[in-house]
Amino acid sequence: MSEELISKKELLDLTGISYGQLYRWKRKDLIPEDWFIRKSTFTGQETFFPKEKILERIEKIQMMKENLSLDELANMFSPNVADLKLGENELIKRNIVSVTVLNLYIENEKGGPQLDFSRTLEAYVLEKLLQSGEINLDEGKMVVQILKDNRSIIKQKSGELVITRKLGVSSCLLLINTEAFHFENGTKVVSRTSLMHCMEELKAKLL
Amino acid sequence: MDTKKRGDLHINGIGGSNGGQFEQVTINGRGTVKSDIDCDVFDCNGVATVKGSVKSEKAKVNGKVKVEGSLESQVLDVDGTATIKENLFVEKLTVNGHVSAGGRVKGEEFQIKGLFKAGGDCEAETFHAESHFSIDGLLNADDIDVKIYGECKVKEIGGQTITVRSRETLIGSLLKPFAKTQLVTDLIEGDRIDLESTSAKVVRGNNVKIGPDCSIGVVEYTGEIVIANNASVGESRKV
Repeated sequence: MSEELISKKELLDLTGISYGQLYRWKRKDLIPEDWFIRKSTFTGQETFFPKEKILERIEKIQMMKENLSLDELANMFSPNVADLKLGENELIKRNIVSVTVLNLYIENEKGGPQLDFSRTLEAYVLEKLLQSGEINLDEGKMVVQILKDNRSIIKQKSGELVITRKLGVSSCLLLINTEAFHFENGTKVVSRTSLMHCMEELKAKLL
Repeated sequence: MDTKKRGDLHINGIGGSNGGQFEQVTINGRGTVKSDIDCDVFDCNGVATVKGSVKSEKAKVNGKVKVEGSLESQVLDVDGTATIKENLFVEKLTVNGHVSAGGRVKGEEFQIKGLFKAGGDCEAETFHAESHFSIDGLLNADDIDVKIYGECKVKEIGGQTITVRSRETLIGSLLKPFAKTQLVTDLIEGDRIDLESTSAKVVRGNNVKIGPDCSIGVVEYTGEIVIANNASVGESRKV
């Protein structure tokens, strides 16, 4: 892993949170267990965190804890989502998915007009990828298919969606708990999307 | 859920049974259950062995229970001995006896008098103990208030308020040359720390009080510090 680390002490200094808060958030699973990285330093064992991820997470917690209880927050950061059903209009109104993409999604996915969280997420990912201009419509269909086929895994684990192209042929793969991946020369990674990240963005929009 | 009424399991005397779903499980005497139990009330007076996991709303142990899997319950009262091979998840744990879990222990409110052992991390909102305990992982609770008997071991302690008091018993003081009444840990981190008879490599906190019989390697604090005369502190830094 090559990401930048931050020690616990620096983190507390930087964010102004207390030990009590940090440990409470750990208990409530607001901070994932595997972000606590233990390393030995010259003063003994110290705990480090992936800098970018933890700072972003703490900022989010601090921002939202005014309005939400810790349990609600924990619910939000955990990958299992409360029962939720949204109509097409609701999604469009809340600016989560545009009309064109939603129509495209429903046409391809062949489901009803009520979207639960999994399907909302799929539509949201599709929207993101298409709007960014990174993928075309055919690739979008591939994305919907792979997300749909692996719905149950995505719900439980943090996955990453990768789209590659080689010699104009595109391919799409879903990584579950992977640290790194490599392709042969000449393969272009078109996009990488962390589904966990999308889930959090989506949940923030839904609340 | 199933609409059928679930039955009860009673073992009085010597007996054995398979596991399953029950409303009430009572074991008086000596009983062995051969697989997992899922029940509302788990009540054991006597000696019981469960060769699987136990899931219940309310569990009470008077006597001796051995669970070869994990135990999950809203409430657990132990006035005897409970040995759990794997994890223990219980919202409210009251122990007047002996509890040992091989894996993680997680819950809300822990009241422990007696002996407590955890093979992994122990997490709760309040952890109150007047006991002899050992935790191989991290003890993490909002409010940690312990009175220690004998030598207690914890890998690390983290929380908001951490209070450690020593309780010398008569036998303890007679045995003093052999077993010290002391809490041994690598690291203590909290906002308010008040220690007695503690041996730690590193202590970090806002307001720190190092009481008698402490031996601390490094203390880092941001607020105030009080160090008792007979405490030994290698180095103290205001950060």
